[in-house]
Amino acid sequence: MFARDKLNLLKAKFSSAILRADLPADNRLYVFVEPRAIKPVCQHLFRDLDARYVISIGADDRPYSGQFLVAHNFAFDRDHLLCSVLTHLPADNPRLDSIAGVVTAANWAEREFRDLVGIEPVGHPYPKRLVLPDGWPDGAHPLRKDFAWNQVPEGFDDEREFAFDEPPEGCMVVPFGPFHPTLDEPAHFRLYVEGEMVRGCEYRGFMVHRGIEKLAESVLTYNEIPMMAERICGICGCVHNVAYAQAVESAATIGVPPRAEYLRTIMLEIERLHSHLLWVGLACHIVGFDTLFMQSWRIREPIMWIAEKISGNRKTYALCLIGGVRHDITPELKAELRSILDKLEAEWTPVVTAVLKDKNLQARTRGVGVADKTACKNTGLVGPVARAAGVDIDCRRDHPYAAYDRVDFDVITADGGDVWSRVVVRAKEVFESIRIIRQCLEKMEAGPMQAVIKDELPVGRLGLSSVEAPRGESHHFVITGENNRPRRWRVRAPTYQNLQGVPAMIKDQQLADMTISLGSIDPCFSCTDRLETVDLRTKAVKVWTPEELVKMVRAKTT
Amino acid sequence: MKLLGPIFGGVFNVAVVLLVAPFCEGLLRKLTARIQSRQGPPVWQAYFDLLKLLGKEDIEAGESPFMQRVAVYLSLATVLTIACLVPMGFPAPMNNAGDALLLIYLLTLAGVGTLLAGLAAGSTFSLLGISREMMTMIALEPLFAIAIVVGAIHAGSFRLDTVLHGAVYGGGSAWSGMVMLAVLLLSFQAFVQRVPFDIPEAETEIMEGPLMEYSGPKLALFKWAQMAKLVIYSALFVGLFLPWGNELIFPLGWLVFWAKVFALVLLVTLVAATHARYRIDQAIRYFAGLLAVALVALILASYGF
Repeated sequence: MFARDKLNLLKAKFSSAILRADLPADNRLYVFVEPRAIKPVCQHLFRDLDARYVISIGADDRPYSGQFLVAHNFAFDRDHLLCSVLTHLPADNPRLDSIAGVVTAANWAEREFRDLVGIEPVGHPYPKRLVLPDGWPDGAHPLRKDFAWNQVPEGFDDEREFAFDEPPEGCMVVPFGPFHPTLDEPAHFRLYVEGEMVRGCEYRGFMVHRGIEKLAESVLTYNEIPMMAERICGICGCVHNVAYAQAVESAATIGVPPRAEYLRTIMLEIERLHSHLLWVGLACHIVGFDTLFMQSWRIREPIMWIAEKISGNRKTYALCLIGGVRHDITPELKAELRSILDKLEAEWTPVVTAVLKDKNLQARTRGVGVADKTACKNTGLVGPVARAAGVDIDCRRDHPYAAYDRVDFDVITADGGDVWSRVVVRAKEVFESIRIIRQCLEKMEAGPMQAVIKDELPVGRLGLSSVEAPRGESHHFVITGENNRPRRWRVRAPTYQNLQGVPAMIKDQQLADMTISLGSIDPCFSCTDRLETVDLRTKAVKVWTPEELVKMVRAKTT
Repeated sequence: MKLLGPIFGGVFNVAVVLLVAPFCEGLLRKLTARIQSRQGPPVWQAYFDLLKLLGKEDIEAGESPFMQRVAVYLSLATVLTIACLVPMGFPAPMNNAGDALLLIYLLTLAGVGTLLAGLAAGSTFSLLGISREMMTMIALEPLFAIAIVVGAIHAGSFRLDTVLHGAVYGGGSAWSGMVMLAVLLLSFQAFVQRVPFDIPEAETEIMEGPLMEYSGPKLALFKWAQMAKLVIYSALFVGLFLPWGNELIFPLGWLVFWAKVFALVLLVTLVAATHARYRIDQAIRYFAGLLAVALVALILASYGF
């Protein structure tokens, strides 16, 4: 109904440019348009129809259609609709009008397909290298199908340095990262600081690319990928695991048994509990409040234990296969989970009460790292960051998956848009997660955990899936393919969008607020850096050459 | 004999501070751990840490290794010199070697050690650290100086044994003394550089700032100086504001003195464990408020209140 409405709206305006449309279900819409229409269509969706920008995908479709493929994904959250605008580009001249001028949130995604697939976004406002390492040769695009997964490109230039922008007048450059005590993973913020005030910054990340998407497209199989997917992130791995499985299921229209859906919901909420409690601890550590850091991690620990009892692991649950789940919750575990939730609730309530009254913590977080509604719209911010600014989005309610349509919960919002509001939102979401798990345990019926899949999965189908990770919407895009593996699998973790909002958050703020502002989006660099080969360089007592290091690493793995 | 007494006393005080300081640190860590539901390291851990660091290779690093070395020696030496001038269960050993003014200078000099350390490292983060340290010093040092001067005004003398014996409460009504007691209690955390005022080091923001290039024995000495600071400032605080019982016969007076010092360490621990770090601008505003109050106390004192 909604999908049809939106398609009609588009057809009314761009009838000549729309080549074909797919409406496999009421909550999915795929529109194929002519390349020349891509910019006006996206602008219309984003500005006039108020769609939320999700991600852009570039794919090398030459072996199948002889062309390159670009997809811009949007979400209509209130109408429960995920929508993808696709276009094919000629193999000999993969160029496309950039939409980043009108849809600012597409800045990174377009630079990414420029780097990896070699599709040129014409007229991009900031066409700098994003993903590939500094010394990577121009013209080598690792996500192209003729680029082998283990290929090392010729002409890697160790001497080549990234050209950073000139710092503004009167500012000194403070290198925040690649390694910093509050960054758990490498990322480089080049801060322009005047006295104690941050006047601007440039981001250079993607330092630990592991080539996960490439491996999935060339080496792994459908049911191996979920295990790889959850290794994208050490904190919200299950999210990627479920999102991938759902994307494939939606592409191949595979139904999942109800018990499996409840089990997925329970594990996702267990993951949210542990992630939010972990974040509260880290945020407190950043502002030097170590007592609450330790206490929230103590409260969190039983969650890790129950996760281990259910899945065999504290983290990395290896939960999903296509069409089902691998772990069941026995009646004994059910009882134990219930008692853990009761204890968690009893312990977390006084903490939240105390935190909400704490003036000292508010002094450090109120009015800090502000991202308002406009910023959320323009940069496509998601999750607690958006909800803290009063943007009422939550994939669990807006794009229901697993068993979320059968449980009752509130979407927590606040209106400050600052770090304090994010603290409040996350602290309260813990209670909602507890509520959801309790309802699932109540409603879960006996039944199979795995759908029976008799046939090969169909080829060339598109699948979208959005899962509400602890940090926001995690979006997966899949094109099914031959040889029991997808042709293209694109992961967009929430941090990918939220990180793009950080420069605006920290501008004209005290340097001391930088760490907590960055920390407040709960950044997950490993989620963002999921592709490509590694550029290893270090200076220890002995200076290793990159070749030696690569040799060492390879010797260990073989 | 006349010379030997103070020298022996001074050495004794220095030795006591060096020995007790890691214990105070250990106590602080253990208590913090208990507040945080942790087991915590053994109370003796700070001694092991120092020994371990002292046994490591002495690496020259930063812009100016020489200055880096000087900064450490200066920091520790200043703190230990102050130890000779402060009564610690016994009368101040080098009472006649200097007066309260010297004490004020030495307290400032201890901060200069940190500045030099930051300059020697020459990295952006350490420069940020020393700019913060400098701002803190400018706003903070006058508070202790005013407390000492208030005492001196009441006592009519800058002699250490008079000033550091509760002289702030002298005069007619002890009003100025009470005000300064409140001011210093509220800023004590900053003098000993603990949360919420560990801003110049702020590990999670500027990576220990001035100390970032230090390692091995030099780091050990710096850490030792910081631990000693906690003891020295506590001793000064006790001398200035809580002198009662110190004149009791040995070992009673001595025990009372250390009990008070440990009580202060406990207070520091509690405050540190229950607060988040302030930003430098928030801290300076806070110190400025205290400074205004302290100036009022100074005026009160000069009119004999």
